Amino acid sequence: MTGALVAVMIGITLVTVALLLLVAGRPKIPDRLAGAAVVVQAPVSNSPADPFPPTIPWSQAKAQEWSGRLAGLPGVGAAVVDRHFYGQVIIGGRASGSTTEGYGWASVRLGGVHLVSGEPPRRPGEVVVDRALGFRPGDPVTLLTAAGPTPYTVTGLSDRPGLLVADEVAARLAPGVTAIGLVLEPGADTAAVEIDARELVGAGGTVLTGAERGALEPRGEARTRWIGMQVLTGVSALAGFVTVFVVASTFAFTVTQRRRELGLLRAIGATSRQVRRMVYGEALLVGSAGAVLGVVTGAAVAPALGRVLIDAGFEPATYEVRYSPLPLLAGLLLGPLVALAGAWAAARRAARVSPLEALREAAVEQRRMGRTRWITGGTLIASGVVLAIATAGSADPQDGATDALLSAMALVTGMVVLAPAVIPPIVALWRLPLRRGGGAIGLLVRQGARSATRRTASTAAPVLLTVAFAVLVAGMVRTSTAAYAAGRAADVTGGRVLVPDDTPGLSDAAVATVAGAAILPTTVFTPDLRALSGLGIDPATFGQAAQGTRLTAGALDGLRGPGAVVVTESAHTGVGATYPLTFADGRLIALRVVGVVADGSIRADLLLSDATVRLHDPSALTSAVHLTDGHPANGLANAGPASAGTSGAAPTDAGAADAAPASAGARVIDVATWAAEADSAEDRLVWLFTLMLIGVSAGYGAIAVANTLLMAAQGRASDLRTVRLAGATRRQVSGYVAAESTLVVLIGTLLGGLVALGALLAIRAGLSEQVGAAVPLVVPWPVIGAVVGLCLLLALAASALPTGRMLRAGALRPPEADL
Amino acid sequence: MTTQTVVLRDVRATYGTGDRQLVALDGVSVTFERGTFSAVMGPSGSGKSTLLHCAAGLDRPVTGSITIDGVVLDGLTEDEVTRLRRDRIGFVFQAFNLVSSLTAEENVALPARLAGRRPPAADVAAALTAVGLAGRRRHRPSELSGGEQQRVALARALISRPAVVFADEPTGALDSVTSRNILDLLRALVDEHRQTVVMVTHDPVAAARADRIVFLADGRIADDARVPLTAEAIAARTTHQVVKPC
Repeated sequence: MTGALVAVMIGITLVTVALLLLVAGRPKIPDRLAGAAVVVQAPVSNSPADPFPPTIPWSQAKAQEWSGRLAGLPGVGAAVVDRHFYGQVIIGGRASGSTTEGYGWASVRLGGVHLVSGEPPRRPGEVVVDRALGFRPGDPVTLLTAAGPTPYTVTGLSDRPGLLVADEVAARLAPGVTAIGLVLEPGADTAAVEIDARELVGAGGTVLTGAERGALEPRGEARTRWIGMQVLTGVSALAGFVTVFVVASTFAFTVTQRRRELGLLRAIGATSRQVRRMVYGEALLVGSAGAVLGVVTGAAVAPALGRVLIDAGFEPATYEVRYSPLPLLAGLLLGPLVALAGAWAAARRAARVSPLEALREAAVEQRRMGRTRWITGGTLIASGVVLAIATAGSADPQDGATDALLSAMALVTGMVVLAPAVIPPIVALWRLPLRRGGGAIGLLVRQGARSATRRTASTAAPVLLTVAFAVLVAGMVRTSTAAYAAGRAADVTGGRVLVPDDTPGLSDAAVATVAGAAILPTTVFTPDLRALSGLGIDPATFGQAAQGTRLTAGALDGLRGPGAVVVTESAHTGVGATYPLTFADGRLIALRVVGVVADGSIRADLLLSDATVRLHDPSALTSAVHLTDGHPANGLANAGPASAGTSGAAPTDAGAADAAPASAGARVIDVATWAAEADSAEDRLVWLFTLMLIGVSAGYGAIAVANTLLMAAQGRASDLRTVRLAGATRRQVSGYVAAESTLVVLIGTLLGGLVALGALLAIRAGLSEQVGAAVPLVVPWPVIGAVVGLCLLLALAASALPTGRMLRAGALRPPEADL
Repeated sequence: MTTQTVVLRDVRATYGTGDRQLVALDGVSVTFERGTFSAVMGPSGSGKSTLLHCAAGLDRPVTGSITIDGVVLDGLTEDEVTRLRRDRIGFVFQAFNLVSSLTAEENVALPARLAGRRPPAADVAAALTAVGLAGRRRHRPSELSGGEQQRVALARALISRPAVVFADEPTGALDSVTSRNILDLLRALVDEHRQTVVMVTHDPVAAARADRIVFLADGRIADDARVPLTAEAIAARTTHQVVKPC
């Protein structure tokens, strides 16, 4: 039972930690808005597929109108229009990653940011920067905005990250407004202001107070937090599953070992119901004790793990674990539930033990697998394979990881259910080359594994679980990473690309340094509040960057005129029709449809001219530029994979920051490199996620392996005594036990590997079809090696220790043999 | 109340299926009266254990009917048979009689506890005293000798005053002194408490203590001796039985 207790404890620890971290993962109110008790947010768009739907900005005029009316509410001291835009400081020729946002000076009135020295920015070209950057008031500084590097002068320092510029500059860079903060008069009632504001704006916006203001957090942080939540949910689900699994195998084992005792109970008058209740009672006890221990441990380690998550990039730096009663209560309740679920099958088996079992010397198990078992196992394996293929087909890597987990669970459970049928042929195969090998001990090991199929199956099950999880999850992630790389490389035919370097995107100035097809993405909104992705393109070069574009009506050239748009077929409109859209500056423009493309042939919902996008979205950034061959500009195309920023700016002396090159924050790499690293940040997170999951399952599997083998060794005492009496030396007995454990680990590894390999092949087939290129099957050998090694080590230790103790204590010798 | 505590009528029991079918009991009819001590003997494979299992409701015959203390077992569900066993049948096996995690007194009280009753501590103590284990009440089976374990099992059979005690080779694993001790106790159950004991044994010395000896061979009753016999006479008959079919 110790094994089950430890399993429940670890499982509940993990679940408690995950729940505490999940609950703690609430959105953080942006610093600069922290002082505004009430914030009115622009209406949120209607995008069911996006977990973070963007807000539809107000135009300049609308924002002014709203702020004027909001300022007139009783209790409101001021209504401040909050503007934020893309901006970075260039230090030493490179974009500094610590700040990527700029605000208008007006936002300081909201009370979250303070000027610690110097003067506020009053004119264009003046900026207040975070004091942590090391500038002094009066220093020159180069800011990188969507237009390109621009010289500024530092007029003051603030206590928070973020650039503060004059309001007129902010209005130019961020013409669309997404939030208006209300500064209340001293003593004003927040609730009353909230009600008044809500009445005033109606459906024209959302009024946020208190923690609700977390909805204003930057979308990037929201996404990081969301990935973190996926990881934690995955870990919780896996912990729950593995706990049930370990408890199930522990209980199955105890029931098998206690058959005679259970038979005796039945013989002296215990009904099958009473026997079942007895097993459930034990499970409840183990589950409750494990839950208490787990919740305490979990609560103790959660804060430390929270910091690890921040370091790993799963959570923003502002993340902090708080204790709340609900996760702790959930952990306490879950322990007994999980233990009961695990003991379910064992309890049913125990209840079926016949009273005659008490009279049999050693029950030789020869019951064949029932039909239900075949059907259950088959169904589980089939659904596991289907899920594995679905994983390959899912567009979102996070969804994919969840499916992968479910798939692995189904496959593992299926294989464990079928194991009693699969093990004898495997042992038989194993026998072929070794029919005569190993002498008497070899014979014992082979026959033992074959005749006690169920025992072998239940000891091999945890190894199977561990190996299958490791191979499948790691292989799946590695193979899909390789697949996407292969797909991207197949998309573009060679050449070079200009990509961002420590920046979220390319500025116009960087784009202008090269010749090639630039794509300027933006978000626009339909009158029915749907968010659409638009690409600002140059019709002349677009075809080169996106070869898959299939035009079904009109022509891309039509985009050259103002107010033109190319839509996809799903927009259900035709060439010449009017298509009204709200842009990032909040203005509603009636566009003219000049072309229609097939759905899915462009990686967006519509195409616009780059001039149109730039006109309405001054802070839009280009994602990448495919260079036109033979047109190197400014020597940049020859810079190679090294940072263009540093190579181009090499002669710059440190003091003259305004000498930063136009290409700052950009570099040129070849397509192959780009294809391989395009998703690397996301891939890194997913790989970390994977390693965490493998760590959890491997750690657990190891416990289960040790546990079942320890129990098996205790149950084998009489067998070992017989072997010893038959003339086996201590050495031979130790060898016997070690060989048996090794065989069990090998069988588990083989079955687990088989299950995982089958699923991986299915995934590869799905991926090949999806990306339209041959995908290599990547098998993560180091991970597999480590996991199998761990299992083997623990298996040997777990079986050798109790055997060694028995040998030393002389317990193998009956009293007569003493002299 | 009937004096026929256990009645088997035309009981037929088989094992396995098809070609490998083995007939363990081939139409056995036998009645064990109240207040008697009967021994069932016979060579290995004669069906004596099956007879005991069927009579105790541990195993179900293919055909035939079994009545225990006036209750016909035929139509009863598994749970009903279990309850009957709990209330009216006591068991003593050759070995493995006790739940290893429970103390001697807990083991004695177990059948009553399973039935939802808590036997008075004095009754449990008295039962253990009757088998000479007053001082070992708190010991676990691993701390008791084989004979002591058998005596705890006897105390368990004693406390619920069952209609019949079935003993399956109760002395099989014991030395002769301890065996005699156990047989004395079984004898006392019958003589002093008018309980019914049915004991399967292959030991003529043990069988000699019974009032009646039923000899089985090939699943049929070969002999039914009601007069007390000496161990030598029993041994002679047993040998005879074994030799005859050959």
